[in-house]
Amino acid sequence: MSVATAPRARLARRGGWPEALTSTDHKQIGLNLGACSLFFFLLGGVFALILRTQLAQSNMQVLSDNSYNEIFTMHGSTMIYLFVTPMAVAMATYLVPLQIGAVRLSAPRLSLAGFWTWLAGGLVMESSWLTADGAGRTGWSSYVPMSNSTNTPGVGQDLWVIGVILVALGLTAMSICVTVTVARRRAPGMALLRMPVFTWTALLSVLMIVAAFPMLILAMTLLFIDRTGAGHIYTGFAGAIDYQDLFWFFGHPVVYVMFFPYLGGAAEAVAVNAHKRWFGYTAFVVSIMMFSALSMAVWSHHMYTTGGVTNQYFAFTSTLLLVPAGIEYFDMIGTLIGGAIVLRASMLFALTFFLQFLVGGLSGVFVASPVLDYHAYGTYIVVAHFHYTLFAGSIFGFFAAAYHWFPKLTGALLREGLGKLQLAVMVIGTNLTFFPMFFLGNDGMPRRVSRYPTHPEWGTLNLLETIGAGIIALGVLIFLINVIVSLRRRIVAGDDPWLGHTLEWATTSPPPPLNFEAPLPPVRSYAPLLDLREQQLDRERRLEGAPA
Amino acid sequence: MRGGAIAILAWATVLLVLFIGNWIWDAKPVNAATAAFAAVVTYATGVALWLARREALRPGPPAPRSEPESVPQSSLAAVLIGLSVGTILFGLAWANFLVYFGAGILVLSLGRLVLELRSERATRRRLLGEEEPR
Amino acid sequence: MLSPPPGALSSLISTRHEYDHLFGIYVPIAIGVFLTILLVVVGAVVIFHRRPPERAARWHENNPVEGTYALVLACVAAFLLYLTFSAEHKVDTVANQQHPSVVVFVTAAKWEWTFRYPGYGFSVRSGTVGRQPLVVPAGEPVRFMLTSDDVIHALWIPAVRYKHDAIPGSTQIVTLSFSTGVFDGHCAEFCGLRHSDMVFTVHAVRPASFAAWARSKGTAAVP
Repeated sequence: MSVATAPRARLARRGGWPEALTSTDHKQIGLNLGACSLFFFLLGGVFALILRTQLAQSNMQVLSDNSYNEIFTMHGSTMIYLFVTPMAVAMATYLVPLQIGAVRLSAPRLSLAGFWTWLAGGLVMESSWLTADGAGRTGWSSYVPMSNSTNTPGVGQDLWVIGVILVALGLTAMSICVTVTVARRRAPGMALLRMPVFTWTALLSVLMIVAAFPMLILAMTLLFIDRTGAGHIYTGFAGAIDYQDLFWFFGHPVVYVMFFPYLGGAAEAVAVNAHKRWFGYTAFVVSIMMFSALSMAVWSHHMYTTGGVTNQYFAFTSTLLLVPAGIEYFDMIGTLIGGAIVLRASMLFALTFFLQFLVGGLSGVFVASPVLDYHAYGTYIVVAHFHYTLFAGSIFGFFAAAYHWFPKLTGALLREGLGKLQLAVMVIGTNLTFFPMFFLGNDGMPRRVSRYPTHPEWGTLNLLETIGAGIIALGVLIFLINVIVSLRRRIVAGDDPWLGHTLEWATTSPPPPLNFEAPLPPVRSYAPLLDLREQQLDRERRLEGAPA
Repeated sequence: MRGGAIAILAWATVLLVLFIGNWIWDAKPVNAATAAFAAVVTYATGVALWLARREALRPGPPAPRSEPESVPQSSLAAVLIGLSVGTILFGLAWANFLVYFGAGILVLSLGRLVLELRSERATRRRLLGEEEPR
Repeated sequence: MLSPPPGALSSLISTRHEYDHLFGIYVPIAIGVFLTILLVVVGAVVIFHRRPPERAARWHENNPVEGTYALVLACVAAFLLYLTFSAEHKVDTVANQQHPSVVVFVTAAKWEWTFRYPGYGFSVRSGTVGRQPLVVPAGEPVRFMLTSDDVIHALWIPAVRYKHDAIPGSTQIVTLSFSTGVFDGHCAEFCGLRHSDMVFTVHAVRPASFAAWARSKGTAAVP
C-alpha cells in the first residue's frame, strides 16, 4: 500500500513516554489500554486476597462490615469495568487491524480519547477510596434503592457512579473505532467470511458494546440524577425493576464481551498449535452470532427472583445458549482431531480455558432454570459459576492469548518453562478456590457476607478457598516474572515463531508503525498464511514426484 | 453469502425476533426501548458493512493507491478531550469548579483538534502535489 | 383466593422436591458432558501430538455433521426446558392456588425480619433485633406475603431450596411447604452494612403444635 512517506518517517521515530501516551497508532493505544488494565487486574486481585482472608474462617475480624462491602464492590467493579472488558477491547484494538491487513485504525483520535476517558473513569472510581465515607459499597451492579443517596449517602458512591459512566463512554468510543475499521479497512480479498476467528469474536464484542453500553450510561446517569436529589426516577417497585432491566441489558451482553475475544484468542492458539485451520469456520461464525443475539435477549435471568419479569421467556433464551456453545466445543475438538499438536504454554492455556469454562457453562445451564435458580441465585453457587466463566475461563484465555501474541507485541518469546509452571500452579489454585463454592452455595452460604455460621465443613471449605486464592496469586506472580525475564533477556522471536495462520504473522515483530512493509499475501481464506504453506508443500511434493 | 454482511443482518433479525418474543410475553416500555436501540445499532452496522463490502471482495493483490494515507502520529487534542470529559464528570460529584475548568479544557482541545485536522489536510495536499487538488 | 382443590394436601407442592428432581437430571447430564469432552480432548491430544506439521490433516469443515449436532443440542435444550417449565409452573402458579393453612406477612427491613401472623394478631422478629424464630406448620401450604420497608432483600430458606425478593413498593406472594425440622434462613440480596446478620430460623412443627403456639400469640415456648 503506498503511503505518505513524510508521516511514516516521523512515525518511525519512536520517542519516550509523551509520544507513547499521545500516539494514535492502534498498537500503542492497545498496549496502553492493556497495560493499564493489567495494573487494575493486580489491584482487583489484591482486593480478592483481602476478601478471602476475611472469609478464611467464619468470623475473622480482619475487616469491618463496611470495609468488606467496599472491597467486594471494588473487587467486582475493578475486575469487570477496569480489567476483563477493557482488556478485551485492548486486544481488539491491537490485533483486529493487523488481522484484517489494515494499516491503521479508523478514527484513531476517537479511540485515543476513549482510552483517556476510560482511564479517567478508572481513576475516578478508585479515587472513591480517598473519600471520608469510603469507596463504592453496593456491589458492581449497585441495585436501587440500595444505591440511592438515602441508603448509601456520600461522595464515594457518587464517584463510583461517575467512574462507571466514564468507563462505559470510553470503551464505547473505542469499540466504535474497531467496528468502523472492520467495515472500511479490510485488505483486498478480506471478505467478512474470510476474517480470522479472533477478529470475528472481537467484532461481535465491540458491536455488543456499542449496542448495550449506552444502557449502562443511561442507568448510571439516571442513578446519579437521583442521587443528587434532582429527580425521583427510580421509585418504588417499578423503579427497582426498571433499573435492573436497564442494568442487565448491559450486564448480560458484557458477560459475552468478557468472553468472546478470549474465546477467539484461545481458538487461534488451538488452531495454530494444531497446525490445522479452525474447524467448521462457517458454523462457528453462525454460532457465535446466535450466541450474541441470544446473549442480548437473556438479561432478566438475573431477575428470576424479583417477581417482576417473565421467567419462562428468559429460561427459554438462556437454555438455548447451550446450542451455540456446543457448536464451539465441537469445532475445538474438530480442530484437534487430525492435527499435529504441539503442547506449548499457549496451547495448554487454551485447552484449559475450554475445559474450565465448560464447568462455568454447564453450571450456567443449571442456573438458567428458574426452579434451580430460586435456590442458586445470590449464593456461592452463582459466585462459583461466574468465576468459572470469568476467571477459570476468560483469564485463562487471556493467558493463552498472552503467550500466543507476546512475541508479536514485543519481538521476544515468553519462557515456555515458566509458562507451564504458571499453568500448573494456576489450575490447582483456580479449582481449589472456586470448586468448593458450589458445595457452599448449595449448602446455604449466601454471597456478599463477611461472616457466616460456624458449620465445621464451611470453615474447612472456605479455608481451602483462601489457600487456593493464594496459589492463584503465586501463578500471577510467575507470569509477571516471566514477562520481566523475557523482556530483559530476550529470546528473539522472529516474524512468525509459531507458523501462524493469519496476517499479523506476515509482518515484523513488533509490527512497524503502518503495520505492513512487505506486500500482503493474497487472502483467499481465513488462514492466508496456512494457504501459502500448503501450496508450498504441494509444490515440493510434486517436484519430488510423489503425488499429493 | 460472500458479502458476509448478510450474517450481521441475520443476527439483527434474530435479535429482533427475540425482542418481539419478549414483547409478546411481557410488554414493558423500558425493555422495548432498550431492545429497539440494540436492534437499530445492529442493523445499522450490517447495512454499513454491506455498503462497504465491495473493495474487500475485489480479488487479486492490493492496488496501489494514488491518495496517500494520512496518518496522524499523535494527538494531544484527543488526550485532552478524554481527560476533560473525565474532569467535567468528576467535578459533578466532587467540586463544581472542576466542571467549568474541564469545560474550558474541552473547548481548548476541540480548538486544537481543528488545528490538527487542518494541518493534516495541508500535509496531504502538499504530498499529493498540484496535479490532483482535492 | 381460590377454594382448595380436592386432595390439596396429597398434591402438596414442595419446592425442595422440584429442585431435587431437576438437580438429579441436570447435574448428571452436566457431569457426563464434562467427562466426555475431557476424555475426547485428552485423547485427541495424546493421539495427535508430536506429529510433524506437514502431516496435519487439511479437512476443516463438515456442515451436515455440525447441523445434525446442533439439532441434537436443540433437542437437549427442549428436553431441559420441558422439565424446567413443568416444575416452574408448579412452583410459581399451582403452589399459589393451594389453600394455605396459614398466611405470614413478611416485612424485611435493614437488617431484620418481621413475620406477622394476621390470623392470630401478633408478630415475631429476627435479625439484628433478636432471634425469634419463624414457626410454621409442617406438611401444609404456608403463604408468605413479602414486602420490604427500605431496600431489596430476599427471603431464602436453603432447606426448601427457595428464595424470593422482598422489594419495597410491592407485596409478592409465594407459597411454600415444609417438612418438620429446624432450618436456617438468610437474606440473600445484598442490603448494606449488616447484611451478614440478617438471619432467621424456621421451626416447622406439627400443625397441632403450631396452632397451640400461635394461639398463645407466640408467648408459649417454641415447639
